[in-house]
Amino acid sequence: MSGYEATGKTVDEAIEKALSKLGIKREDANIEILDEPSLGLLGLIGNREARVRVLPIVKATQFLKDYLADMLVLMDISCTVWVGEDGEKIEAEIHGADVGALIGRHGRTLGDLQYLLNIVVRRQFPGLNKMVVVDVENYRARREQTLTQLAKSVAKKVSLGGHEQALEPMTPQERRIIHLALQDYPDVTTYSLGQEPYRKVVVTPR
Amino acid sequence: MKMLLEHIAKALVDYPDQVSVSQVDGERMIVLELRVASEDMGKVIGKQGRIAKAIRTVVSAAAVKENKRVVVEIVQ
Repeated sequence: MSGYEATGKTVDEAIEKALSKLGIKREDANIEILDEPSLGLLGLIGNREARVRVLPIVKATQFLKDYLADMLVLMDISCTVWVGEDGEKIEAEIHGADVGALIGRHGRTLGDLQYLLNIVVRRQFPGLNKMVVVDVENYRARREQTLTQLAKSVAKKVSLGGHEQALEPMTPQERRIIHLALQDYPDVTTYSLGQEPYRKVVVTPR
Repeated sequence: MKMLLEHIAKALVDYPDQVSVSQVDGERMIVLELRVASEDMGKVIGKQGRIAKAIRTVVSAAAVKENKRVVVEIVQ
């Protein structure tokens, strides 16, 4: 990130000079004071001007949007990217015709892409305390619906048949959806079994 | 493919100018060799190779269209 250094009789004057040079507002800038002004002896010797360095703040959301868009161009996937931010997360949504490759089997590619973007954004903005959440063609929402339905049908079978049943391996987020879907079921309980990435949910009669 | 890997790797490391990728195209396979500064090795590999795995997944996803397999090797 490049900054701009400016000098002035006072700190404020130096800052204003740098801001107008960069064409940004004060709230969009990181300001570092390099030298305080001093008048020196009788204003004759050792006279020193204020010197500041001003760095524009690149917002994490804007960075993510540019970074992800560049990445998708390099992947030769034609799509649109929307990035938004709320109190706890930065969300990226990808829409397009040939985005299937970004989802992968059971969303594994999407999961890895999201993980990678989280690492990248955190490297660039170490102080950021927000998660990056990525979705492709509403895959996550659709997957949640599918998993909830699956959970219910398995719960029904287990409560009728009496045998416990293991589901296929899932990511922690997906297992959570199953646990939540069945937490209020009187006849069954759920627990997880095995080691990542093969950890799976088992539905068992209560 | 090469540029995609560079794009990803450069954002992960402390010394982006020391990132270099060489690409060897086979008939059905592409081999990408990623070189980074030795201090940055951990940054592209991650705990238990988790970052390296994520990089491989994303790069492989890009190769689906070309119907090729991609191997990403991280070399010293």
